[in-house]
Amino acid sequence: MAEVRRLFRRPGAVLALAVVLGAGLTLLAAFRLMGSDRPPAINGLLLYQSLLPRAAVAIAAGASLALSGALFQRVLRNPIAEPSTLGIASGVQLALGLATVYAPALMATSREWVGLGGGFGAFLLVLALTSRGGFNPVSVVLSGMLVSLTAGALGAALILANGDYMMSLFIWGGGSLIQDSWAPTLTILARLGIAGVASALLLRPLAILALDESSARSLGVGVAAMRFLVLVVAVWLAVGVSVEVGLIGFVGLAAPALARALGARSQKAVLLTSPVLGGLILWVTDGLVQASGSDVPTGAVTALLGGPLLLWLLPRLTRPRPLEPEAPVAAPRMRPGKAALIVGAALVLAAALGLLLGKGPDGWSLALGSHLAEFAAWRLPRIVIAATSGAMLAAAGVLLQRITANPLASPEVLGIATGSGLGLAAVLLTVTAPSRELQLLGAVVGAGVTLLAILAIAVRGHYGPERLLLGGIAVSSLGGSVITVLIATGKPEAFQLLGWFSGSTNAVLPRDAVISAVAACLLLPPLFVFGRWLSILPLGPATGSALGLNAGRASLWLVLFAALLTGAAAVFVGPLSFVGLMAPHLARHAGFRRPREQLAGAVLIGATLLVIADWLARMLTFPYQLPLGLFASLIGGPYLVWLLRRGVGRN
Amino acid sequence: MLETLLALGHPPVAAAELELYARIVVEPPIPAGVADLGLRGSLNFEQLLLSRPDLILSSPFAKWARPQLERIAPVLSLPIYVPGEPPYGKAEAATREVAARLGIAGAGERVVADAAAEIDRIRAALAGRERRPVFIVNVGDPRHVRSFGEDSMFGNVLSRLGFDNAWRRPTSYRATAPVGLEALAEVPEARIVVVGPVPPDARRVLPQSALWKALPAVAGGRATFLPPVDAFGALPAALRFARLFAASLEASSNG
Repeated sequence: MAEVRRLFRRPGAVLALAVVLGAGLTLLAAFRLMGSDRPPAINGLLLYQSLLPRAAVAIAAGASLALSGALFQRVLRNPIAEPSTLGIASGVQLALGLATVYAPALMATSREWVGLGGGFGAFLLVLALTSRGGFNPVSVVLSGMLVSLTAGALGAALILANGDYMMSLFIWGGGSLIQDSWAPTLTILARLGIAGVASALLLRPLAILALDESSARSLGVGVAAMRFLVLVVAVWLAVGVSVEVGLIGFVGLAAPALARALGARSQKAVLLTSPVLGGLILWVTDGLVQASGSDVPTGAVTALLGGPLLLWLLPRLTRPRPLEPEAPVAAPRMRPGKAALIVGAALVLAAALGLLLGKGPDGWSLALGSHLAEFAAWRLPRIVIAATSGAMLAAAGVLLQRITANPLASPEVLGIATGSGLGLAAVLLTVTAPSRELQLLGAVVGAGVTLLAILAIAVRGHYGPERLLLGGIAVSSLGGSVITVLIATGKPEAFQLLGWFSGSTNAVLPRDAVISAVAACLLLPPLFVFGRWLSILPLGPATGSALGLNAGRASLWLVLFAALLTGAAAVFVGPLSFVGLMAPHLARHAGFRRPREQLAGAVLIGATLLVIADWLARMLTFPYQLPLGLFASLIGGPYLVWLLRRGVGRN
Repeated sequence: MLETLLALGHPPVAAAELELYARIVVEPPIPAGVADLGLRGSLNFEQLLLSRPDLILSSPFAKWARPQLERIAPVLSLPIYVPGEPPYGKAEAATREVAARLGIAGAGERVVADAAAEIDRIRAALAGRERRPVFIVNVGDPRHVRSFGEDSMFGNVLSRLGFDNAWRRPTSYRATAPVGLEALAEVPEARIVVVGPVPPDARRVLPQSALWKALPAVAGGRATFLPPVDAFGALPAALRFARLFAASLEASSNG
């Protein structure tokens, strides 16, 4: 306890400031409320049933999320685990969405159970996927992220396929703390109390858990059972918050990290101070949201603040790790020439399929003759965009995986595609009716800036995979919440952004296809000049300079091309496709090992994947079309999860 | 636009989001044989192409699709909803213009005149009622509503029926409902008309909400729920709203 007291004395100023800030903001809101010319009875009611519960629910939810995060981090021995990075929050939202569409009655009677089902489902899935890797932190969080993204994509696809356009916004948003009674606060507080007692009881066994597994076992603690119990408590806490107030990310990550940064050393100190800090963080954040007078959900803002916070904490959070070796590939090695022939044929077949076979009012039909000419005008631009974007994303993926020596790097995972969205958003919001070329420029600049920012963070840790990924997650969530906030403004540009976010290629014109094709033709061939760099760079700067390579200059060129490729592709297919992650791996598995081979193979595979995805997205829910990017991520997410399961990314 | 065509007795060959139409717009019903073009935000151009239209009716909301649509057939884009401007007159103008383009100008005049007559009839029928100001809202979630001002079709029809709109600010055209429930307490003597559809979650929570129950209109029994009406419709939606609104007033004063 001495340590806890010392902690509170030393960073007492920080805590006091937070309390004063939170209370001040709440008072400000109260004064504003009482000053309005509504009937006094209503004002009183608003104060007691809306404003005060809002402050209370912020504190209670923040504390719950923080405790949940701290428990996860302890048991999984993972400093970046928390309800949103483990996919729990998204699991809950997907389950609630499914229930809303398919079982509204269930939604009315047993929201809790639906949410619990979703939360535990997502969490167990993440655990099952990473059990073979011994719950390696990076794998766990990456699986959680992928489960999150896939759940989000499924939810949106579900709603789009049901013909409802607006509700997708509704599902993606959430995290509003506005209250109309004390009931959610009391529910969350009750859970927090029970969980608090449970974790206090488990504190001693938890201390033993912190020892390594063998000594814990020799002390006679049922390690597995104990761990599981704590995890159940943590999931239950997170689900409770998610069901009551929606998706609020990063509090569970920020609070324990802040506790450590403020000097909490022992797990007891972290577990005790995290809920306090979590409550304060959410209280102050929500107070700021209220004071700004905007109606942006607080959950979107925590992600907005969470991103930079995470970036700031990165150096404290992670130790530099040795480079991650590429996973050995067991597949029999095919001759690259033969493999290229097969993949090339697949691409031609996919393109032919996309061009010729389609559904119409009278069912399936093969477009031939004059019909073909007519359809080609519509289908060809989409196919060209899909193929060239797929190829460019795949190439960017190869470059990034080689530059960072990290098999999990890709434009999507590192948030570079989201960064290009920020660039696009800046152009859309500042220029009226910008041309495609200008949008493209915005996307490329956005991608470049993001990539440089992430690399700048990573380079200090010698490209440690954890840092790189965390930086990527932070940038992604930051970009994602900026875009959510923009979409919430409801301007026409916002709907354009939403369309972009889901990766719709429906509105492309032949001119767009030409732009995309020109970009691909300009950017792809020069890459093959970089073959030597690509084989030397992953070996590290020391080897590089020994072999006479100026690593800095080489990296800069590759980074530039990766940004150009990502921007040019993401402007059309959005940030969600995962082709940039999948294609390089598929290429390696198909036998394309050497850098130039892998590049060529990945380009072909990436193009094929997106062409097939585009066709499926058009056909599956005809005449309702799914956005290409969203649909591709439905294929890509599970594939990646499977890849992780096979052990890529395990140390 | 779809409902305008149906009202003119000239059903289109294809239209977007028929499933949503059946749920929210409800009337007039869509005859069989109208092809579904998919989502407004992701129109199925191939389906549209195969429907071989002679004319495509669009709105400024679908401006993004205009270049594509023009490749299929001539496009007529008519604005009904412009923030800050009352839409009823624009809906009349749009009806006339569509009818003129279809060579059935007479039908257009008839639809406009019938609508005006219907509104007048309802206005007369409601003449003896107490004239409380009215809030017209969509429920977004249990704590938020979208409130319709003078520049909405509902608000516009309301004033044509001789009622004051209790919501004096403009309508927000956002996708999410942006107004806190407490705003509905600002005019204590008002009546609240909730236009459907109400999300299932809100349907469950709203009646138990202390704040909702404490709103002067709710406490005084002056809150009514209407079936779904398209908030961004043309004349048929305006009439549907007028009829449902009148019926709800009758019901509440009888009961």
